[in-house]
Amino acid sequence: MRIALYGSKMADTAPGGSGTRSGSKHTTTPADNYYLARRRTLQVVVSSLLTEAGFESAEKAAVETLTEMLQSYISEIGRSAKSYCEHTARTQPTLSDIVVTLVEMGFNVETLPAYAKRSQRMVITAPPVTNQPVTPKALTAGQNKPHPSHIPGYFPEFPDPHTYIKTPTYREPVSDYQVLREKAASQRRDVERALTRFMAKTGETQSLFKDDVSTFPLIAARPFTVPYLTALLPSELEMQQMEETDSSEQDDQTDTENLPLHISTDDSGPEKENASVLQQNTSLSGSRNGEENMIDNPYLRPVKKPKIRRKK
Amino acid sequence: MNRKKGDKGFESPRPYKLTHQVVCINNINFQRKSVVGYVELTIFPTVANLNRIKLNSKQCRIYRVRVNDLEAAFIYNDPTLEVCHHESKQRNLNYFSNAYAAAVSAVDPDAGNGELCIKVPSELWKHVDELKVLKVHINFSLDQPKGGLHFVVPNMEGSMAERGAHVFSCGYQNSTRFWFPCVDSYSELCTWKLEYTVDAAMVAVSNGDLVETVYTHDMRKKTFHYMLAIPTAASNISLAIGPFEILVDPYMHEVTHFCLPQLLPLLKHTTSYLHEVFEFYEEILTCRYPYSCFKTVFIDEAYVEVAAYASMSIFSTNLLHSAMIIDETPLTRRCLAQALAQQFFGCFISRMSWSDEWVLKGISGYIYGLWMKKTFGVNEYRHWIKQELDQIVAYELKTGGVLLHPIFGGGKEKDNPASHLHFSIKHPHTLSWEYYTMFQCKAHLVMRLIENRISMEFMLQVFNKLLSLASTASSQKFQSHMWSQMLVSTSGFLKSISNVSGKDIQPLIKQWVDQSGVVKFYGSFAFNRKRNVLELEIKQDYTSPGTQKYVGPLKVTVQELDGSFNHTLQIEENSLKHDIPCHSKSRRNKKKKIPLMNGEEVDMDLSAMDADSPLLWIRIDPDMSVLRKVEFEQSDFMWQYQLRYERDVVAQEEAILALEKFPTPASRLALTDILEQEQCFYRVRMLACFCLAKIANSMVSTWTGPPAMKSLFTRMFCCKTCPNIVKTNNFMNFQSYFLQKTMPVAMALLRDVHNLCPKEVLMFILDLIKYNDNRKNKFSDNYYRAELIDALANSVTPAVSVNNEVRTLDNLNPDVRLILEEITRFLNMEKLLPSYRHTITVSCLKAIRVLQKNGHVPSDPALFKSYAEYGHFVDVRIAALEAVVDYTKVDRSYEELQWLLTMVQNDPVPYIRHKILDMLTKNPPFTKNMESPLCNEALVDQLWKLMNSGTSHDWRLRCGAVDLYFTLFGLSRPSCLPLPELGLVLNLKEKKAVLNPTIIPESVANNQEPVNTTNNHGQPVVFQNTFSNSQEEEEIDMDTVHDSQAFIYHHLNMLERPSTPGKEQSSGEVTMHPVSAAPLSVFSKESNSSKHSDHHHHHHHEHKKKKKKHKHKHKHKHKHDSKEKEKEPFAFSNSPASARSIRSPSLSD
Repeated sequence: MRIALYGSKMADTAPGGSGTRSGSKHTTTPADNYYLARRRTLQVVVSSLLTEAGFESAEKAAVETLTEMLQSYISEIGRSAKSYCEHTARTQPTLSDIVVTLVEMGFNVETLPAYAKRSQRMVITAPPVTNQPVTPKALTAGQNKPHPSHIPGYFPEFPDPHTYIKTPTYREPVSDYQVLREKAASQRRDVERALTRFMAKTGETQSLFKDDVSTFPLIAARPFTVPYLTALLPSELEMQQMEETDSSEQDDQTDTENLPLHISTDDSGPEKENASVLQQNTSLSGSRNGEENMIDNPYLRPVKKPKIRRKK
Repeated sequence: MNRKKGDKGFESPRPYKLTHQVVCINNINFQRKSVVGYVELTIFPTVANLNRIKLNSKQCRIYRVRVNDLEAAFIYNDPTLEVCHHESKQRNLNYFSNAYAAAVSAVDPDAGNGELCIKVPSELWKHVDELKVLKVHINFSLDQPKGGLHFVVPNMEGSMAERGAHVFSCGYQNSTRFWFPCVDSYSELCTWKLEYTVDAAMVAVSNGDLVETVYTHDMRKKTFHYMLAIPTAASNISLAIGPFEILVDPYMHEVTHFCLPQLLPLLKHTTSYLHEVFEFYEEILTCRYPYSCFKTVFIDEAYVEVAAYASMSIFSTNLLHSAMIIDETPLTRRCLAQALAQQFFGCFISRMSWSDEWVLKGISGYIYGLWMKKTFGVNEYRHWIKQELDQIVAYELKTGGVLLHPIFGGGKEKDNPASHLHFSIKHPHTLSWEYYTMFQCKAHLVMRLIENRISMEFMLQVFNKLLSLASTASSQKFQSHMWSQMLVSTSGFLKSISNVSGKDIQPLIKQWVDQSGVVKFYGSFAFNRKRNVLELEIKQDYTSPGTQKYVGPLKVTVQELDGSFNHTLQIEENSLKHDIPCHSKSRRNKKKKIPLMNGEEVDMDLSAMDADSPLLWIRIDPDMSVLRKVEFEQSDFMWQYQLRYERDVVAQEEAILALEKFPTPASRLALTDILEQEQCFYRVRMLACFCLAKIANSMVSTWTGPPAMKSLFTRMFCCKTCPNIVKTNNFMNFQSYFLQKTMPVAMALLRDVHNLCPKEVLMFILDLIKYNDNRKNKFSDNYYRAELIDALANSVTPAVSVNNEVRTLDNLNPDVRLILEEITRFLNMEKLLPSYRHTITVSCLKAIRVLQKNGHVPSDPALFKSYAEYGHFVDVRIAALEAVVDYTKVDRSYEELQWLLTMVQNDPVPYIRHKILDMLTKNPPFTKNMESPLCNEALVDQLWKLMNSGTSHDWRLRCGAVDLYFTLFGLSRPSCLPLPELGLVLNLKEKKAVLNPTIIPESVANNQEPVNTTNNHGQPVVFQNTFSNSQEEEEIDMDTVHDSQAFIYHHLNMLERPSTPGKEQSSGEVTMHPVSAAPLSVFSKESNSSKHSDHHHHHHHEHKKKKKKHKHKHKHKHKHDSKEKEKEPFAFSNSPASARSIRSPSLSD
C-alpha cells in the first residue's frame, strides 16, 4: 500500500498527547494485551512502509498517527465488507464483497496486484498468535432453547429464557368497595396534580400570591383563535365515555326519552303527517308526499353555471 | 307624530308607499370587513307634489343615487352621531336625554323622517304628479361597520372559509339601516329580492326562499338569490354569511339549520326537537307557519342569544350542545321556542307603531308560555310566571313603573308619561335595555291576565283571526294598501278581542297597559270565633313610586279543615276589612281526612294548629291575576301547613320564603320533609335547601344533630356501605341531579357559632370533589363540578385580619389552603380537558374573587384581566369582567375603571361591551350620593363622550352608557363638576362656550387625580358671571328642548354653504361675544339658549342676526322655530359626491 505522508516534517505537528495514549495504561487485561499486540504489528507495518518510502526516521507521534489511519482504514474495509455480505444474506464476506468495498472507498483495485508484487517490499513476520480473549459470558439462566428444525443453524441462538418467558402472577383482587373508590380517587387526583404541575412547570404561569409562584401555580390563560370550539365540543375523553355508556347498562332506565338523538337525515313518514294540522295549504304537503325519498331543499341543489352574459 | 290610530286603520307617515325593494350585495370582503352593494326601492307616490324621499341609512357610504335612472341629489345627515353639540359645560343627563330623544325622532321612520334625504329630480316632477312609480337606486358601501353587521374573523392561517370567518346582521329593534339604506320601520312592508355574492366556500342565508345559486363567471364566487314574496318590514330583514355546515331538518324539509364548521353533530342534536315546537304552535294557532321555509343560523359573538327575522332566526352558537349536557338543554329549547313564537308575532305580523310593540311581545311571550306549560309542565310554568311577576314587580318598584302603551300627546315634554325615568320611552332606541326586558316580561304577563278574563279559547281565536287576516293580506300581491292588515295595533287588537269574546276588557287595559305601576298588598287577618268569621284586612300602598291603586275583584283562597274555599273580594276605595265566613267549626279531635283544593284528601297532623281556629292557611290572589306583590302575615304553623299540603308550587315557594323568618324545629321539619319528598317539584326542593341553611344558621345555638342536609344527602346520594363516599354519578333522574347539585351549595352557607363554615361541611364537600366519578355516567358532570366549586366559595368566610397585614402564603388559613388546592387543580385541568362552556373555569374565577374579597388572597385583578381578553369563551370573559368590576368598586381603582371603559369602546364583541356597562351599572364603583376619588371631571367627560358620540353605532350600548351615567351621577349636573359661576370661556373659533380651563375649581383640586383640561383653543375671554348659579342652570336646561327640526334645517343650511362650518374657518381670532354689552343676567340666559339652539356655529353675520332675534324672542321659542321652518332652506348640491356623508361639523375626535 502506498501511504502518502505529507512530508516528514509534518510529523512534529502531531499532537503530543496522542503518543502517550497506550503507554499510560496502568491496568492491563488480557483483552488489552490482545489489542496492544495487534497495534504493535500495525506499527511495524507502518514503519516498514515508511522505510520503504525512504524515510530514515520518524517521530513517534507521526508513526502513531499513521498507525491510527491505517487501522481505521482496515477497520472500515472490514465493516463495509461485512455490511455487503450481510446485505446479500451471508455471514462470511467473499472476495467480491471486499472488492466492492474497496471500489466504494475510492480505491483503484486494479493497481493492487502490481503493488503486491513490487520488488522492494518488506516481509514482516506474522504476529505471534494470541488468542482472542473470550468475552466474559453473561450470567446464563436456564437452558437456551435449541433452534427448531425450520430455523437454519447459522441463525443466532435464542436469548436466555428469562428474557422472554412470562410468568403470570396473581394477587388477591381488592374487592372492598371503599378501598377501591379511595384508590381510584387518589390515583386520579395524583395523576391530575402531577400532570397539571408538569404543565405549569413547563409553560407560563400565573400566581395568586406575589411572593410565591410555585405553591399554587396556575397555567396561564391563553386566548384561542376560535374559542367556541373547545367550549362546545365534547372532549375526546367524553366522546369515548359516551360511546361506552351508550351501550352499557344505563339504558335500561326509562326516564330519559327527553333526549332523543336523531342523527339520520332520512325521515320516515309518521312525523310528517301530524305536522300539517291544517289542510289549508295543500300545495306544499302535496309536493312533499309526491317525491318520497328526495329531499328538496334549495340549499342542497347544485349551484348553477353562470349564464352567458348578454351584451348590453 | 300625531297620527291617529283609530278605526280607520293604518295611515302611513310617508308621502309614498314602498312596494318592493331589491338588496344586492356584490362584494363582501372579510379581510377589510367591507361590503359593497346597491338597493333599489320601488315606490309609489301618494301625494302629487312629492319632491323629497326620506330614507334611513346609518354608517353607509352612499356613492350615487338615481331615481328612474336619473341622477338625484341627496343629503346624508345623522343627528344621532353626536347628540349634543358643542357642549362641554352642560353635563346633566336630563338635557342629554331630551336631546337624544329629539335626535332619534328627527330620523324616526315612524314619523316619516330619515337620515338620507333624496331630492326627486325635477325632470320627474310631472311623472310624480301622475303618481307613477319611482325606482330609487342607491349604490352604497360599508367599511368596518361598528354596528348592524358584525364580522367575526378569527386571526389564523388559511382562507376565510377555513378560518370559520362569518358575518351576520344584528342589532336592537329596527337596526337594518346600519347595513343598507331602507325605510327602517316595522310598519312599511314590501316584498323583497335579495342577492348576495359570496365566496364559493361560503353560504349566504337570508330571508325568504332561496331561488337559485349561480356561480360567477370566474367560478370563484356564487350568488345567492332570495325572494321574499310576503310583505315584510325592512327591520325584519337579516343576513348571515359564513362557511356554514348545512343540515336539512329530518322532520321538516323546508327547515334548514346552519352552524359553523365542526359543530354539525351538536347542531343535529340541538335542533332535533324543533319540529315539536312547530307542531305545537301550528296546532294552538290553527294556522300554518306563515313562511314557506325556515332557517336557523348559529353564529359566534352573537349580539343577543335569539334574534328573530322573517323566515329565519339567528342564534348564538353557544346554545348548541351535545346529548351529554343536561342544564343547557331546556334553556336552548326555550330559546328555539321563543324564536319560533316571534316568527308568527313580530316577523309575520308586524306592528303599526312603537306603542303597539307590547301586543306583539305580549302575544309571542304568551304563546311561548303555553308551549312551556305543555313541554315542561304546569309546575314549571307557574314557577316561571311567578318568577317573571316578581321580577317585574321588583323593577317597577325600583324604577317607578313600566308603561306598555305610551300615548304621546302633542309632544310636550311636560306630560311625558315616564318622567320618573332617566330616558325617553318614546322610541325603542332610547330605552334602557333592562327596561325593555322588563317591558317584554310585563307584556306577556298582561296577555295572561287578558286570558284569565276572556278564556284561553277566545284568546287563541283572536290570534287566529289576526293571523288569517294577515295571511289573506299577504297573498294580495298587487294590492299593497291591503298590506296594512299585517300590522297589529293596540286598538285593532282590543277590537278583535271584544268582537271575539264579547267582553269588555277596557278596565283591565286601562289598569295594566295604559298606566304603569304594580299593586302592593299588605294582608293580615284575625279569626273571630264567636261569629266563625275570618276578618281579613288588606291594605295597599299606592303612594310609593311604581305602585298604583287597585280596585276590583281579588281572589282569596282559604284552606279550612273542611276543605278549600275560594272567595272573591271586591277591593274598593276605602274598604280594608273583609269578613269571610268560615265553613268549618274547629274540631280537630275528629280524625278525618282533609280535602284540598284539587280534590285530594290527605291526613294531616293537626296538633300544631290553633285549637280555636279551623284555618289551615290563607292565600291572597293565588292565581296571580293581578300584577302585585303580596306581603301576608300568618303564623308559622300556617306557612308550614301550606308548604306541606298546598299543591301549588307558587304557594310552596311563598311558604318557604316566609319560613325564613321562623327558625324553629317545626320549620326545620317541614323543610326537611319537603326536601325528601320525591313527588315535590324539584325547584321547590332546591329552594328549601337554601331556606334550611338560613334557618339552621339562625338556630345555630340550639341545632342538634349533624349539619343540615348532610344526612339527607348521604342517604340520597352516598353509598350504603360507606356513607362518606358519594355514589358514582348517574344523572338519569334529572330531579335528583338538580338536587344533588344544589344541596352542597346550600350546605356551604351553614355557619357555626363563630360564624365560620363548620369543618365537617367543608370536609364533606372536599370529599364530594375527591370521590366524584363520572366514568359510568351518560351525562357530563361539568355543571355539577362547577357547583361544587361554588359550594367551596360559599364556605369562605372573612379572614381574621391582623391590622391589615399583607396576604402571603405563610399566613394562609389551612382550610383555605385546601380550597385553593382544589381550585388550582380544577382551573389547570380545564386547560387540558376543557368542560362544556367552561363552566368550571367560570366557577373557579368567581371563587378566586371570593377568596380575594374575604382577604385570604391578595386582591389583584391581573388574573381576571387576562381571562377577560378577547379570545376566551364569552362566559369566561363575563365572569372575569365581573370580578374586575367588583375589584374596581372595592378597591376604588381608577386604573381598572379606565381599563373597563377602554374595553367598552374597543372590544370586538358587542355583547361584551354591553355587558361591561351593564355590570358597572349593577355594581357601580360609586353612586351619585357617594364621595369617591373616582368621581372626577375627566370621568364625567369620558362617559359623556361615550354616550354622546362614542356609541352611536349601537343603540343598546348607548342606552347602557346612559344608564351608567345615571347611576354614577344622577339626572342633574354631576357633583364633581366645578360650579358654573367660575366663568365662561367663549371661543369663537371652536364656537363653543367652555369653562375657563385656567381656573382649577376647588372640588377638582381636592381629587386625588386632578385633571388638567388642556387649553387648545384660542386665547380665552373670561366673563365673570356672579349671577348664574347651578340652580338656574338646570332650570334652563329643562326648558331648552333640543329642537330636531331646527337641527336638520340647520344642516341643510350648511350644505348650501359648505365653507360655513366652524372648523374650516381659517381665521383663528377670538372675538368678544357680541352681546357682552348686555346686562349680565340677561347674558347668562342668552348664552345658554343660544348654545342649545344649534345656530351657534353659524356664519358670523348670521350669528349676529340670530343673536338679536334671540334677544327679543327667547321666550317664544316655538314661534321662533316655526319661523325658521318657513324659510325652507332646502338646497341640494349638484354633485352627489359632495354630499357624501356630511357629519355634524363639530366632529368628535
